[in-house]
Amino acid sequence: MRRRGLSRRDVLKGSTAIAASVFASPIAAAAPEPSSITPALIEAARKEGKIVWYTSVDLPVAEKIARAFEVKFSGVAARVERSGAERVFQRIGQEYGSRIHAVDVVNSSDAAHFIVWKRDGWLAPFVPEDVARHYPPEHKDPDGTFATWRAWLSVIGYNTKLVKPEEAPKSFADLLDPKWVGKIVKAHPSYSGTILTATYQMARDLGWDYFEKLAKQRVMQVQSSADPPKKLALGERAIMADGNEYNLFLLKESGQPVEIVYPTEGTPLIVGPNGVFRDAPNPNAARLFQSWMFTNEAQQLMVEIGGLRSFHALVKEKPGRKPLREIKLMKDDPVAVERESEAIKARYTQYFRV
Amino acid sequence: MSVASPARTARPARIDFSQPVLIAFAAVLCVLIALPLSWLVYFGFTDRTGAFTLENFGRLLADPAFVEPLLITLVIAISVGVICCLVAAPMGWLVARTDMPFRRTVRMLVMASFVTPPFLGAVAWELLAAPNSGLLNQAYRALTGASPDRHLFDIYSLPGLIFVIACYTMPYVFVLVSNALDRIPGDLEDASAILGGRTADTARRVTIPLVLPAVLAGALVAFLQAMTLFGSPAILAIPAGFHTMTTKIWSLFHYPPKPELAAAASLPLLLLTVVLLRAEHAILGRRGYSVVGGRQSDPRLVRLGALKWLALAFCFVLLLNPIFLPYGALLNAAFSRVASQVLSPGNFTLHNIEFVFFELSATKLALKNTFLLGVSAATIGTVFALVIGYVTARKAVTHWRALEFLATAPVAIPGIVLGVGLFLSYSRAPFILYGTLWILLIAFVTISLPAAYQQLQSAFRSVHSELEDASRILGATRLRALAGITAPLLRTGVIATWCFIFVGVIRELSAAIMLFTSETKVVSVLIFDLNESGDLAAISVLGIMMLVITFAVVILANRIPGFSGGVRLRDA
Amino acid sequence: MASVELQGLTKRFGALAVVDDVSLRVDHGLLMCLLGPSGCGKTTTLRLVAGFIEPSAGKIRVGERTVSTPGRTLPPEQRNMSMIFQSYALWPHMTVAENIVYGLRLRKVDRETIANKLAAILATTRLAALIDRYPGELSGGQQQRVALARAMIVEPETLLLDEPLSNLDANLREEMRFEVRRLHDQYRYTSIYVTHDQAEAMTTADLIAVMNAGKIEQVGTPEDVYDRPQSEFVARFIGSSNILKGRNLDDFRIEFAGIPLRCVGIKLAPGAATSVSIRQHDIRFIAAPAETAENVLSGKILRQVFLGGSRDYMVELSNGTQLRVVAPAGENIAPGTSVWLHLPAERCRALAR
Repeated sequence: MRRRGLSRRDVLKGSTAIAASVFASPIAAAAPEPSSITPALIEAARKEGKIVWYTSVDLPVAEKIARAFEVKFSGVAARVERSGAERVFQRIGQEYGSRIHAVDVVNSSDAAHFIVWKRDGWLAPFVPEDVARHYPPEHKDPDGTFATWRAWLSVIGYNTKLVKPEEAPKSFADLLDPKWVGKIVKAHPSYSGTILTATYQMARDLGWDYFEKLAKQRVMQVQSSADPPKKLALGERAIMADGNEYNLFLLKESGQPVEIVYPTEGTPLIVGPNGVFRDAPNPNAARLFQSWMFTNEAQQLMVEIGGLRSFHALVKEKPGRKPLREIKLMKDDPVAVERESEAIKARYTQYFRV
Repeated sequence: MSVASPARTARPARIDFSQPVLIAFAAVLCVLIALPLSWLVYFGFTDRTGAFTLENFGRLLADPAFVEPLLITLVIAISVGVICCLVAAPMGWLVARTDMPFRRTVRMLVMASFVTPPFLGAVAWELLAAPNSGLLNQAYRALTGASPDRHLFDIYSLPGLIFVIACYTMPYVFVLVSNALDRIPGDLEDASAILGGRTADTARRVTIPLVLPAVLAGALVAFLQAMTLFGSPAILAIPAGFHTMTTKIWSLFHYPPKPELAAAASLPLLLLTVVLLRAEHAILGRRGYSVVGGRQSDPRLVRLGALKWLALAFCFVLLLNPIFLPYGALLNAAFSRVASQVLSPGNFTLHNIEFVFFELSATKLALKNTFLLGVSAATIGTVFALVIGYVTARKAVTHWRALEFLATAPVAIPGIVLGVGLFLSYSRAPFILYGTLWILLIAFVTISLPAAYQQLQSAFRSVHSELEDASRILGATRLRALAGITAPLLRTGVIATWCFIFVGVIRELSAAIMLFTSETKVVSVLIFDLNESGDLAAISVLGIMMLVITFAVVILANRIPGFSGGVRLRDA
Repeated sequence: MASVELQGLTKRFGALAVVDDVSLRVDHGLLMCLLGPSGCGKTTTLRLVAGFIEPSAGKIRVGERTVSTPGRTLPPEQRNMSMIFQSYALWPHMTVAENIVYGLRLRKVDRETIANKLAAILATTRLAALIDRYPGELSGGQQQRVALARAMIVEPETLLLDEPLSNLDANLREEMRFEVRRLHDQYRYTSIYVTHDQAEAMTTADLIAVMNAGKIEQVGTPEDVYDRPQSEFVARFIGSSNILKGRNLDDFRIEFAGIPLRCVGIKLAPGAATSVSIRQHDIRFIAAPAETAENVLSGKILRQVFLGGSRDYMVELSNGTQLRVVAPAGENIAPGTSVWLHLPAERCRALAR
């Protein structure tokens, strides 16, 4: 194993104190000129023939987006490499440590990863036209290496066949009620960036003793934040303590007996940026993919079929889903997540034993 | 030495290439096995600056988060060992020594559970016995009217994990016991009978003592399998909230990776395996007569009378667990909209199949990689096993014992430990193989070598060495004799070995999980990833496809006469 | 054809010398039998000659060539030898004909010559009817003849035979002994024949080398080793002689059970201990002598067995030594009877070892 990766993290620990926010680098902003999708770019991408996208978004959603891209730009195959954000991060670190450059474009549900990749100089500065024109400044890197491709919430959910709406929990605190012992499923911050981010926000706002108590509820521990919604739909557990809002949207809209609860304490907001790697094996296809992913068309598709939320100014929220502005959110803080991720995972393992 | 004057009919002198070839093989083998193990030891005993330390072990022993998995692993391994013997030994006896009907079918079905990837079985048992959504628990509630809170089985528990591991470890004991029983000459029992021993006396005083070493060896093998298994614990133990040693080692590679702790945690596993294998060797070695082949009379079959149908029922009830129920659950999930619902017109869908084959972009690559690795690992592994088996069976070089040791040593390396060792070895100069299929190929060849070697070596032993000597004295070189005489006689053994490496490779997970990259993903890893995000239906489709390929290969191997199922497959 | 010569040949496995400083010469066209009990190193010696194993010391010469020395051993395929194995080693996946012509094919002999030689050897070994059979379909004797044919068709410089008859039943074995000898007389290959069966060696060999514990005890014609054993081992192993141990009186006599025993063979050193051998059928029962005489001993019959043509007696002498005596069947002496035995001096051989 690469000791290099370790020392990098060690160095990081000392240096992150000066970093303010992920999107407000203290270094002078030097984003390149915005790029549009030109016939020359498409032609160059076709020559490369494929693009590899590492992502942590739920697999069926990722594959649908990839297929839509392939339909739009025939001759460029989009391959999805999906696993939990923390495993994506570990994998890229492991691969780059061995000088394996397999990834073209990355999307992670742990925005903190982009701080590390950018600092290591692994990301290419590249600003798609849509990002420059339609995205709020707090959702794009001043140096142009990444922008928020998707956003979603980590919510509470329940199975409507097993729990009546009036009995359903309204808050995180409600989950500590003894009646939910053995009925809760939750995902794991060592695998899922969504859960790592949410765990940070909740520990900050609710205190670690919330998790200490939750661990005593005999929760079923799964890995990905996409899994708890599926366990709810199967009827395996009645309640999910955390997990993807977008999976619940999709399951609910396909007629499955699941319902979303936005906890009264506030709901953790997760942002998932997209970035192009400097050493991408298919640089042109990567830029084409990145550009397309931020278009109104792709973003609307992501919202419609993925249940995700977009910061693109022109994208409309889907009727029937609770608009983001109506939800009380917990504040996201990738810099702090980056700083504390190891401590969060260690403490979590201490309470939940895995 | 003068070789200058060949006599009348002597063939012209030729250079004998065999010695350099053998030395080359030995060298490759050394690198294959010694390199990863030395890196493991190095990492286990050094700190980050490379200085010698015992701190890694100190940290392991002081931390309950490491001690607990070790204890749990021992509990699992011992329980599985005991359960397997209690279940598989009687079944082995029924099949080998009684007139129970459908004995061949039972053998075939056990064979099927033998080749079923254990991680696939674990996923299937999630579908069956998850406490709330499990099909069996649903059926239980529907039949008894029990409240929705009640459940009969909870697969996400220590007993649940032990059960699932036992299901797919049982065949190892079965094969050992039934083979041993097959090989006990009927004469031995007849001799007891003629001296006045009744069936029960004969069983107690002759048959059981003769087969006991095989049962004990089976218990040890089951123990080792359970101890080194990765897939099933990863799927079932984590939701239940505990780790085993293998999942713990795996989690040590999560960001930030702690390879020195992973190495240190691997070493006790390695040590324990070595000790247990020595024990197995001692047990089987001393009482080796029980499995000696040779000319012998057919065993007499015990007449069970009406009990034979009861015996058959016993076997089929046991086979429900590794075969019928899981396969049914996988089929159900593959064609269902909701995996936890029983297939019905309203629930039927082909979407899962469409998803796996047309939407899932990793499928094609994983299939290609798996197939490529299966074919090449099987070919290379067979060649290796062939050459080493030859050298040791014929004692063709002076240090053949060292070669034999090297070829069987991987048995003592749990897949996950090998994975860690290979990663440490081949992700740095001078051998940067990580990220290529080569590193997986090395892992698979190394893992399959002991079983392949054992099989081919015994095949060599069955070909009398004088057959080769006869060819050489008439003028054939060693390699020519091997090609012209031995190879044709070994053909069936060679093909069978090839098939079994192939099957073993496509179900291997524990080493692959440490070594894959996105470009070198294999089907077993793809299934594991799909399990992480809860895509059970997609797993079912992929799993069924894997089983179909596996059975096609096994049936091919079984069509070859002279092949018997006594091959040890590695854990996955 | 060439002679085979072993010079100080030694093979050690670990500390154990299985073949221990063996020197032996087999001249052109002779059949040398290595005779000895199992484990005496005779098969190892043969495999050393064949080149399957390398000597630890000493060398092997075939004609003018040195073929084996420690560290440099000509591989078997380059020695132009043939061998007949204890198991016959017929290749089960080849027919009789394919088995036999294998060596010729390796020698790239042309098709026509192969056919001619095959026909000749089939006639000699009486196998013509069986050429298309597989070895599994043959009887033991037929397999044996195929092995012989396969070994001889290549016209080797040297023919090696490793217990070739031990897998046959008694009748067939006797028949095949003569067959081997007949073929040897016909082809006259320099041959080394390993066996533990004394009668087999007597029938087939020109010369017999008796081996014991890795060493050669005695080399000689069958008559030599039988009539003039030089060591206690040879005397016992060939024809199981009685051995009498005594102290030398003078150049020709030892003192045994208080009686002087005159012997032939070697000149005795006065005062030393010597063993003397005498064959069971050379001892004769005689009437009680008038006075103590040389080579006349008294004893008592312990038991007797009727063997048809003869009777086999066990006689205990006054000093407790037991002798076996084979006498004509007509003379029936009951157990318990006291008897006198005459051991003819010309049959008492003083042994060097």
